[in-house]
This record gives sequence, structure tokens and C-alpha cells, in this order.
Amino acid sequence: MREGWHEFLLRTKALLRRRRLHREMAEELAFHQEMLRARYAREGMRETEMETEVRRRFGNAARWQERLRELWQLRWIENFLRDVRFAMRLLMKSPGFTAVALLTLALGVGANTTVFSMINGLLLRPLPVPESDRLAVVGITGHGPQTAYSFPEPLFRGLERRHDVFSTVFAFSHADLQVLARDGNEKVVGQFVSGGFFPALETAPLLGRTLTEADDRRGGNPAGFGAVISEDFWRNWFGKDPAVVGRKLTIDQAVFTVVGVMPERFVGADPLDRPSVWIPLATEPILNGQRNMTDSGIHGWWLRVMGRMGPGIRLEQANAAVAAATAAVVDENAGDPEWAAAQLKQHLEFTVERGSAGFTYLRLQFRKPLVAVFAMCCGILLLACLNLTSLLMARGAARERELATRLAVGASRGRLTQQLLTESLLIAAGGTTLGLAAAPQLSHALGAMLLSGPRESHLDSSLDVRVFAFAALIAVTATLVIGLAPALRATSRELNEQIKSGQHAVRQQERHRWLPQILMSVEVALALVLVVGAGLLASSLVRLYRSGAGFDPRGVENIGFSMDKAGLSHEQLMEFYQEAGAGLRQAPRVTAVSFARVVPMTGLTWDNDMFAAGQHPGTDVHVNSVSPGYFVAMRIPVLEGRDFRWNETAAEGMKIVLNEKAARALFPKGSAMGRTVNVNEGRKKAPIPCEVIGIVGDAKYEDLRSDPPPTGYMAMTQESTDQYSPSFNAVVRTGGDAGSVGSAARRLARQLAPGVPAPVMTSMTTIIDDSLSAERMMAMLSVFFAACALLVTAIGLYGTLAYATARRTSEIGIRMALGAQRAQVVGLVCGQNALVAVLGTVAGLMAALLASKALSSFLYGTGTRDPWVLAGSIAALAIIASAASLLPALRASRISPMMAIRCD
Amino acid sequence: MGKRDEPGDLIQGTLEMLVLKALARGPLHGYGVAEWIEQTSQQALKVEEGALYPALHRLELRGLLKAEWGASENNRRAKFYRVTAEGRKRLEAESQRWARLSAAVGFVMQAS
Repeated sequence: MREGWHEFLLRTKALLRRRRLHREMAEELAFHQEMLRARYAREGMRETEMETEVRRRFGNAARWQERLRELWQLRWIENFLRDVRFAMRLLMKSPGFTAVALLTLALGVGANTTVFSMINGLLLRPLPVPESDRLAVVGITGHGPQTAYSFPEPLFRGLERRHDVFSTVFAFSHADLQVLARDGNEKVVGQFVSGGFFPALETAPLLGRTLTEADDRRGGNPAGFGAVISEDFWRNWFGKDPAVVGRKLTIDQAVFTVVGVMPERFVGADPLDRPSVWIPLATEPILNGQRNMTDSGIHGWWLRVMGRMGPGIRLEQANAAVAAATAAVVDENAGDPEWAAAQLKQHLEFTVERGSAGFTYLRLQFRKPLVAVFAMCCGILLLACLNLTSLLMARGAARERELATRLAVGASRGRLTQQLLTESLLIAAGGTTLGLAAAPQLSHALGAMLLSGPRESHLDSSLDVRVFAFAALIAVTATLVIGLAPALRATSRELNEQIKSGQHAVRQQERHRWLPQILMSVEVALALVLVVGAGLLASSLVRLYRSGAGFDPRGVENIGFSMDKAGLSHEQLMEFYQEAGAGLRQAPRVTAVSFARVVPMTGLTWDNDMFAAGQHPGTDVHVNSVSPGYFVAMRIPVLEGRDFRWNETAAEGMKIVLNEKAARALFPKGSAMGRTVNVNEGRKKAPIPCEVIGIVGDAKYEDLRSDPPPTGYMAMTQESTDQYSPSFNAVVRTGGDAGSVGSAARRLARQLAPGVPAPVMTSMTTIIDDSLSAERMMAMLSVFFAACALLVTAIGLYGTLAYATARRTSEIGIRMALGAQRAQVVGLVCGQNALVAVLGTVAGLMAALLASKALSSFLYGTGTRDPWVLAGSIAALAIIASAASLLPALRASRISPMMAIRCD
Repeated sequence: MGKRDEPGDLIQGTLEMLVLKALARGPLHGYGVAEWIEQTSQQALKVEEGALYPALHRLELRGLLKAEWGASENNRRAKFYRVTAEGRKRLEAESQRWARLSAAVGFVMQAS
């Protein structure tokens, strides 16, 4: 064993220093000869005699030097290197084939790696904290159709106190903070975290300490409110001041003390959120004032809850324990027995899931699209592999005489297989490397496309061990898939029979060569599935855009003013907005300015229960609070009645504008104009009667996908500011440059409200595009993949047919000599591919019908069996297949019979 | 494989044992090993170069010998072989085996 190991080590060393080894061998032998000559000279031999004697003794020096070399060789590596050199030469000789092989494979691998690295970043990568596998996410079932991951504060506190199976239960929530800098407030991403957050994540701070339970109390630690900052924030805000602990930070007008700095790698429990400041959960009422979530108790669902499981506790145990504790926690903490009883009756129950990768909402949103895209990528990779298999097989057929001869002179089948596999390994390795090289840029671009939205997200899709392992797995699988079948086939015994039977004449075996045909049919089927999928997704996206929003998004800019923490009274606020509106209207080419609470298409909703007199139950109506001029700015038609006015106040009776749907729902009979709608704003408050003063056209609210909901527009001037955060967005319609509007808005904000963060401007079309990011990504990628699939299939069909036809040259020559017409030859050659195409199409169509069911949840306004899409896809494939077949067929028809027969 | 490449009168295992024995006295180059064996056996054993060098390299590969380049007696660069600890153990075992074997052969041949 030890000797064997020694041999291996020395041989490996020898491999690396082969030249030196050979030189030393020669030198050693030369020395020996030298010594012999010296001895012969001593014995008095003559010069010429001496040379003959030495030569006689040594025989052929080169030969036994070769024997020495063999001793030192690592057989398999030498063989492998020789194979690699041979395969390289072969690949270089057909650059077209090599380029196609490398590019198709790079495409498949690149696409797969890209999407996998995103899935890895979003779903798989564990949080960089110790023992992340002990973390768990707590959810709620029975509250809404799907598992919910939001908790109200009282229920979380109940779980936190109880913890039993968990060593710690903690909660966190995203917070947009305004931190006072030298010149006014700046927006900073923060997180409210409960006292258990840092202890559970077990990451030591860079400086100072982390937040603990003592900080997470109303009124804070006796020493004041503590805040932990990120390394990044420490660098940018405090210039890496080593004495940062103890410094003050004014956040939303409350003073916090920096107690610690977290290292760069610590991201918290949401892998996509990168907070700069962590502050205690208990300070939320202070920062958010009257409209805080903590005090809305069980009606404010805003916390993500996670826990660190106690030692030895398994996920199932934790799940069972938490589910069993649900009733007690809800009963004791809800503070509203009626509500608690109602929820428990609906089978509200806590659940526990794996939490090693933390929790992010985007995961819920993007899991399905990413998995669908990943499936497409696997499809394109499989297609690329099948294509290469067919091409290699066709090439192998062209090389079969060489291989059969080598088999006949005694090469082992294993050795030949190894050599052929080396070729596919080279292709696979090359393709994987190319694909891997392109993956980081691609996933960056894809991530930017997918996660562009109002809130910044940081998806770390960088290549890590998992991605590399995945790519390596792909490369190995691809090598085997690509190479094994052709290699085994090319070295099979059948071949021997073949050389015996002579070559280019018509042969019986040709009939049995069904494998390439099947492979190509599968490829065609796969391509059809991809094309159908792309067609469905793309036509769905087009329909979505065409469906219209009910307003005209082109030329509309939204400008968000962060006035919610400016501490202004209602009158002051209205004055601010009126002045800001007047100022914005002065900007060049602005045609209309108004304000709205909720910007449509951002996914935000605000709804209330409304009822007409005597109606029970009421109707769920989406609500927005808008300023006068909103309908003009958005180009929503006013069908009846009038718009709001700036001088309308709450005192003169509440007014409401309904859209058609709401009007019909609330007042099925007769006109809604002038009638009264009662708005339920909460269970404990009396309904507010509102007079309907206008009816407007239906417009979509949450996103482009959902139909316009019944909507009621309230007057911004009448809004009671104690209820909602009075921050509005300017809706500006402009005929030209958005930049001038933006700079006007910033100037106005500086003038009218110094100290408030700079307003943020987004165009309505961008908002719509962002709201469809998943759909857009899927449609764009699927169309791209489908185009690639068509191209690859065309290459495959062309390549295999061209090889096959080339091998039938003499047969065709004989046929033509016997009187076959050119058209018949074209038919003969095309017929081969026609069969493949028809078989593939039928199989593909069936597969597509099955597979497209998986897409149905992504489709808008179209079924999975859209006949136009199906017909179009088949037509596209038919065109591709004919084009790919015609070229070899035409070439075959130009064969000169004399030449063909003679050359055999 | 030609006849000249055969290890002469010596079977392979025996040659390796002799090489180890030759080197047990101290480092030698290949020529020195051959010379020592020939002289010590009083020219009875002839060591062919075609067998000697593969044997030396095989022993080196197995870690029983260690090779170093040094200056020869006529001041030329030569490859010197030295027995390792592992090699000494092997030599010990081989010489015992050889003693048993030759004694056994002797008994058989002396039987009447």
C-alpha cells in the first residue's frame, strides 16, 4: 500500500517534470557508456572495437530508454492526455461542428447556471449565521387562502413569551426611516427587531453590543433607545469612527444611541433586505406616531416571526408544538375575545417551516416563475445535449471504418469508448466553462429585471460552491448524455459486420438505425414544447398590456413626497400640497397635476366595507384618496356628476366618487348620483355617510392582471388625518421631458418643506413594467429560449441529414443512374426528416398540452390550448424543418451518378 | 522483446535483491552496482544494462532506493542510489528468504 502510494506520488511528479526526467535518463545512460568506454580503454581495446562493443552491449538505447519511461508513466493520465490531444485535433479539424457544439452547450449551461444561481440566492443559500439550520419561520394557516407570514404584535409577544420548543422567538419588520443628517433628513433602510433577534442570529458585533430584550421595551432601556448600525452605514455615515458607540442618531425625530456595529456579512434574517439600522421593535409607536402598527393590535399584521429551535428539537416537533399552542396564544393575547373566538373557529393555526435561508416575501412571489424558467432552461439544455448526441452519432457513423479497423486490430472496446467520451468531455467542459463565464453577468441582468421595483432588493446571486457543484454536475451529465450513446454505438460489434459487408452500397442495417431518428424526434418535440410555452407566455403578456388599465399611463409621472413625518397639521399639509401642485404646474409642458394616496399598479390596496342604506352585507370597495384634478390627470373619464374641489372640507359633509362597478354594486337599481354610501372604517366606529357626487370609468387598481375592482374615491381635503398617514403622491401628466418635472419637484420640496427627504419620481409606465416583472421575465426568456431551440433544432436536422446523405452518395448515384429523377431524390432525402418532424410534432404537441397546464397560472386571458399559438408553433417548426432538409436534399440531387459510383 | 533485454542469468526478484545488497554498503551509481556484483561474484554473474536500469528505477519508484545526483570518482555528474530504511528492511527479508530457498535447494540436490 505504502509502496503503491510512493509510486503514485513519484509518477505524478514525473508527469509534471517529464522533460527533466527524460533528460536525466539519457544522462544516466550516457554516463554508464562513458564508464564502459573508460574500462575498455583500460583493458587496451581499440577505439573502433570499443564503439562496436558498447553498441553491442546496449543494443538499441532508445528502446530500453522507452522501457524506463513506461515505468514512470501514470498509464491512465498519459492515455487521457493522448486522447485529449487527439480529440482536440479532431475538433479543430471541423471548426463548424465544434463552434455549434460549444455555443449550444454554453447556452444551455449558461441559462441553467444563471437561473440556478438566482434560485440559490433566493431560495437555497443559508443565512450567514451559526447553525442556520436551527432557524425556523413561523406562519399562520387559516387566515386567508394561503399560509400567511405576517403577525400582529400581540400574537408575536405571546409566542415570544411562550417560546417552549424554541430557545428564542423573534420578529422583524422592514422600516423606511428618516435619519437626520447635516442638511435635512435622509431616507435610510432600517428594520424593527424584537429583543430576541440578535441573540437568535448569534452573530457577534464588530463594535459595541447588539440589541437585547432590555432594549425592546416601551420607553427603551433606561439609557435611552438603542440602535445597531451596519458596517456599511458606519463607513458612510460615521467615517469608520472607532468611537461610534454612544454617538446619537436622530431617527424620525426621536433620538437613538448607537450601541453597536454589525459586520458586513451580517444581513439579518431577510436575505434581500439590507438594513443600515436596526432599532427595537418597541420603539415603533414612537416613530410611527398615532398611526403605529403596535397599537392597532390584532388588526395590524406586519411582523415576520422566526425562531431558533432549542437543542435536539426537530422541525416536525416544533410544528406540532406551535400548532398546539395556537389557541392558548390567541386567547391570551388577542385582547379581543370575540375576534379570537371567530379566528379559532376558522381553524387559525400557527405553523413552522424551515428557516435556514431566512425569510423574504419575494420568495413567495418569485418561486413559481423561477421554477418555471428553470424548467425551460433544463429543456434547452436537454435539447442542446440531444442535438450534440445526434451530431456526434452522425459523425461517428462517418468514422466507423476507422473505429472498426482499430477494433479489428485489437484495440479494446473500453479504450475506444474512453477515447470517444474524451471528445464529448472536451465539448462539455468547454461549453460549461463558457456558460459559467457568462453566468454572473446574466444573473445580474436578470436579477435587475426581476427585482426592479419601488423597494430596493439585494439578491446575491453570486457563484458559490453550490452553483459550481451544480455546473460540474451538468458538465458530467452532459458528457455522458452526449457521448455515451454514440460511443457505445460506434464501438459495437455490429460495425465489424459492416466493414465485412463492404461499405457504401445499399445496406440492410440502415433500416435498423432508428436511434438517431428517435433522438431527433425527441428534439423536435422538445423544441415544440418550448415554442408553445413561449407563444402562450408572450401572447398572454401582449394581451395583458393591451387590456388597458382604465387610465392612460403614458406621460404620467408619480412623485412621492415623504410628508408623513414632517409633523404638519392637516391644514398645513393641504396648503403644502396645493402649493406644490401649483408649482409643478409651472414646469414646462406639464398639462395636469393632482395628488393621490395610493399609486395604482404598485400592488398596494386600501379597501373598506361600504353599503347603501338597508344593504346587508355591504360591498368590499377599494378606496383611494385623491385631490381635485385626479381624473383629468389620469384620463379617467368622468361619466356623471363632478370632480372634487380644493375648498371642500370634512365639515360640509363627506363626498365620494364611485367608479361604474362600485355604483352598480352599491345601487343596482337607478342612478347612484346624489345618494348616500356608508363607509365602515373599523368595527368599533360608526359608519361614515358619504354623498355620491360623481361616477367615473373603471380603472385597474392593484395590478394589470386583476379586473378593475369596485372603487370609491374620497376627497383628499376631507381626509381625517388622525387615521391615515397623510403622505400623498403627485400625479403629473407631462407632454415632454420627465427630468424637468423631477428637478421642479425637488426644488419645490426644498423650498416648501426643508428637512424632508428629496421626493422620488417614477413614471407610470415603469411602475406597470415593474408590476409585471415576473411575467415580462418569463415571456422574454421563453421567447429567447424558443428561438434558440428552433435554431439548435434546425442545426441538428441539417447536420444529421447532411451526414446521412453524404454517406448515401453512391446509393443515390446508382438510383440516378437507374433513372431516378432529381425531384425523386429530393423527396427521398427530405422524406427522412419529414418523418422525424411529423413524429416529433405529434409527440411534442401532446407533451405541450400536458406541460402547458403548469403555465396556466401565469397566463392572462388565454387558455393553455390557444389554437393560434399551437398552429403558429407547428408552422414555425415546419418552416425550420423544411429549410434544414432542403439544403442537403438539393445537394443530393446535384450528385453526378458517374462520379458517385466511380468514387466507391 | 529481444533476447538481449532478458535479465541474463538472473531472475528479476533476485536481481533486485542483489542491487539492494550492492547498495547496502553505501551509495553507488548504476555502473558501480553492476561492477560490484560482477566482481564480487567473480565474474559469475553478469548484469545486463537493459535489466539493471529498469530494476533500479523500479526500486526507486517503490521508495526502496533514493536517487541523488552527485560527482563520480572521475568527477562527472552521475546518479547515485542509496538504500532507504524501507529498502534495508526489504533486503533483510529478501536475504532471509534467499537463505531458506538456497538451503532448501541444497538439501534437495544433496539427497541421494
